[in-house]
Amino acid sequence: MARKTDLLQGTLDMLVLRVLSRGELHGWGITEKLEQLSKSALQVDEGSLYPSLYRMEEKGWIEADWQMTENNRRAKYYTLTRAGRKQLETELEEWDRMTAIIAQVMHPA
Amino acid sequence: MRLLRRLRYLFRRKQSEAEMAEEMRFHLEQRAAEFADDGLPVTEVHLAAQRRFGNVASIQEQARDARGWRWLEMAFMDLRLGVRQLAGSPGFSLLAILTLGLGIGANTAMFSLVNSILLKPLPYADSAQLDRLFRATPQNRDGGFSPADYHDLQQGIAPYGEVAAYLAGEASLADPGQPAEMETAFRLSANLLPMLGVKVQLGRNIRSAEEIHGNDRVVILSQRCWQNRFGGRADIIGHTVRVDGEPHEIVGVLPVSFNDWRHFGGGEFFRPLGFDKETSADRRGASLRVIGRRLRHLSPREADAFIANFGVRLAADFPAVNAGTTWRSVELNALVAGKNGSSTLAMLIGLSGFVLLIACSNLANLLLARTMTRAREFAVRSALGASRTQLLRPLIAESLILALAGGAFALLVALWAGDWLAYRSTGDNGEQVRLALDWHVFAWAFGASLVTALAFGLAPALFALRLDLNNTLKSGARGTTGGRGSQRFRQILIVGQFALAMVLLAGAALFIRGLEEVNNRRTGWESDHLVTGNVLLPAARYPNPEKIAAFQRLAVERLQALPGVASAGVASFTPFFNWPDSRKFLLEGRTRPEPGHEPAVAVNTVSPRYFETVGTHLLSGRAFGERDTANSSSVLVINQAMAKSLFGNENPLGRRLGLLAGEKVQWGEIVGVVSDVVPAVADSRGAPFQLYRPSAQEPRPQVSILVRTKGVVPSTLTDNIRAAVSSLDPDLPISELKTADATIVRANYQLAVLRDMLASLGVLGLGLAALGIYGVIARTMAQRTSEFAIRLALGASVRDITRLVLGSGVKQALVGSALGLLGAIGVARLLASGYPGMQLNSVPVLLGTTLLLVTVALLACWLPARRAGKVDAMQALRAE
Repeated sequence: MARKTDLLQGTLDMLVLRVLSRGELHGWGITEKLEQLSKSALQVDEGSLYPSLYRMEEKGWIEADWQMTENNRRAKYYTLTRAGRKQLETELEEWDRMTAIIAQVMHPA
Repeated sequence: MRLLRRLRYLFRRKQSEAEMAEEMRFHLEQRAAEFADDGLPVTEVHLAAQRRFGNVASIQEQARDARGWRWLEMAFMDLRLGVRQLAGSPGFSLLAILTLGLGIGANTAMFSLVNSILLKPLPYADSAQLDRLFRATPQNRDGGFSPADYHDLQQGIAPYGEVAAYLAGEASLADPGQPAEMETAFRLSANLLPMLGVKVQLGRNIRSAEEIHGNDRVVILSQRCWQNRFGGRADIIGHTVRVDGEPHEIVGVLPVSFNDWRHFGGGEFFRPLGFDKETSADRRGASLRVIGRRLRHLSPREADAFIANFGVRLAADFPAVNAGTTWRSVELNALVAGKNGSSTLAMLIGLSGFVLLIACSNLANLLLARTMTRAREFAVRSALGASRTQLLRPLIAESLILALAGGAFALLVALWAGDWLAYRSTGDNGEQVRLALDWHVFAWAFGASLVTALAFGLAPALFALRLDLNNTLKSGARGTTGGRGSQRFRQILIVGQFALAMVLLAGAALFIRGLEEVNNRRTGWESDHLVTGNVLLPAARYPNPEKIAAFQRLAVERLQALPGVASAGVASFTPFFNWPDSRKFLLEGRTRPEPGHEPAVAVNTVSPRYFETVGTHLLSGRAFGERDTANSSSVLVINQAMAKSLFGNENPLGRRLGLLAGEKVQWGEIVGVVSDVVPAVADSRGAPFQLYRPSAQEPRPQVSILVRTKGVVPSTLTDNIRAAVSSLDPDLPISELKTADATIVRANYQLAVLRDMLASLGVLGLGLAALGIYGVIARTMAQRTSEFAIRLALGASVRDITRLVLGSGVKQALVGSALGLLGAIGVARLLASGYPGMQLNSVPVLLGTTLLLVTVALLACWLPARRAGKVDAMQALRAE
């Protein structure tokens, strides 16, 4: 198992938005995808995904509807809205700016 | 969108919860399946999945917080709890809602009265710019203008804006085939309706060409008159009716909004202000009422200053008539409540506020007692970790529910009171006070209810929370009577309640007594078997004094000849109302006072047998007779007070007195002295100086006819009286033909409505106060049962216990009543300033009220105290 890193406060939303930007997914799917993308390096209580999803649904960044999975189970699929896409862009920019600054401070050239 | 989602979540919470659970279950199952694939034992996969997921309950809680309105959900929960709590003690809830509803209902009813009288603007365009203009004389503060004054005003009014005039009066209206009827009719200047912004709903407005005498035979009907007299027929325009016996053409119908009872509501029909040459030059008349629309940039104060200045200039130009007059303008909207209206309304609101205060203190008592009995529950919940807010929230919810229910009940009470008031205040012409139930009233009812319930619901709760938890818990099964503080608080509430109830009750009782005195006041005349009515001789058919005098002589003759009539007469005024004809006079042989500072006297013109007919006693000299005609020398009769004040011990008979009429002086000889007459009205005690002239020497077109019957019930004679008069002139209706007693009661009718309102408030206050003291004593009894049991067991007699309980309650009631007496005297003073003709200082009434209040208090205390004797010592002690 890879070394686990605690998730930075507030970044979960961004990660979820990033995952959803590639297409609609249900909660479990998002968890799998996150695991896959981070190569299982991120340590989160899986459940905490859900309050985050509901919060973003509240804010209108994502939308949800019930669909059937390939295995014919009912599951709630989330899609990115236009507002969500915009939010993702801003957060990405913000993130890049932050990491650039931090990198500059930590590894001064 | 978001709001919708939140609301959907709120109202479909069950489904949302289920969906959330399903979503998470799906996740857990998928994770478990994956663990199983990884080769974990089947028994452990679920646990492992959950561990990975985190605390499901806590995550669900976070999820709930993330969506919807958490606080609203909590509030719903609190409200549900509140409803359950209140439903659990229906007696308490009912009492609280009843108390709240009655208190606020009375208050709301009064507010709706104020709302529909004072707060609603008159139905005219931009009514805030409208003023009434007055020409105050020393005798009449609210005097009107002469046609010449009005003419001058119109010439110079441009800097102010615009003025229009009207005349109030009565006229007979007859349709072919219908008997003539006397109706309230106004004469309007052509510009009045356009100035007010009123448009006729049918036909056209008055034209300025019709403001000339002879061209003025057109009529505009009120909506009410059109409906009631003409069945609302569409072809009414162009129809001809007889007004005062002359054919008039109906040219228009006014909209229903013009029937506003606060202003022109009494008017049945409207005619142009038609002056002939002579009248338009008249400078002495004062009957023209003037309304102005001030320019937009003028403040009411500036307008008033302009009008006052105008009056000063006119007084300088015509000192003989206008010296000593002051002109002013008052906003029209400020006048709608009438002379005493605003202060009376303020008083009613104040008194209904007292009822509300009594209700509030009842509520506070109830809630305090309830909170006390629940102190233990609070202590336990607090010990289990409930925060102060958590303890208070269900209490707030309870108060809110009470407020809502109380407010709804209050609206019912106010509605009912409004119906009653509308029914009671319906006048002769069917015009009634309409209480508008608009959002103002709703807001008032629920606002007052909310404030009351919250303030008086939370105060005791906060009080209870201050109690020491430990002690409460330690005090075991025993309910608590509360500490010394809460006892004191309750005593103060009771004292306050009784003080307020005393003010209400004594105020009402004084008013009841005062109105009774006014209605039964027969000073200087006798009402027994006296019938009166009013007749107005139209100028068109009675153009000169000779014709008027001839008619009056004939009418009296015919009336005298009727079977069952003892004597009959005519007079310009009846003895029981104010005589508005006030004139200045001089005495022969005395130095003449400064012009404008002559003494004034109220003048009545009467027919020969007037004194005999109304029963005013002749004290010396002679009454008028047939020999006093227009051609004989002028004679006068004065009242006793005038004779005493002017002549002291000298004999007034044979002295000469001159009435001022403009520049002229009308001299006459005093031939008799009669007793003083005090009008049976509440707004004045009448003029101290009264003077009579023979009607033959000053025939007036508008007179009252007076008939004293003998041997028959007076009311059976009215048809014969009408027939006798219409045999002389079929177009001459008699208005207000009824017994003098009935006329007086009718005239003081509005006071009777006020009396009934005051009485209702008084009874309500008394009832609520009695309920309050009863509740407190009953609760004290219940809580001190074991104490009484011990006392009984130790040898106290039942009487001792009863006295103990009674004593404390009655003491507070007495202190309260004593305090209230002071307030009652204040209310009486307030009323007396509005109704100077009323006697509102009856000591027996005050004593009686005090006695009543104390008796009620005694009774309310005695009912629960009686149970003291029934305390079974053994049982009470065992129950511990």
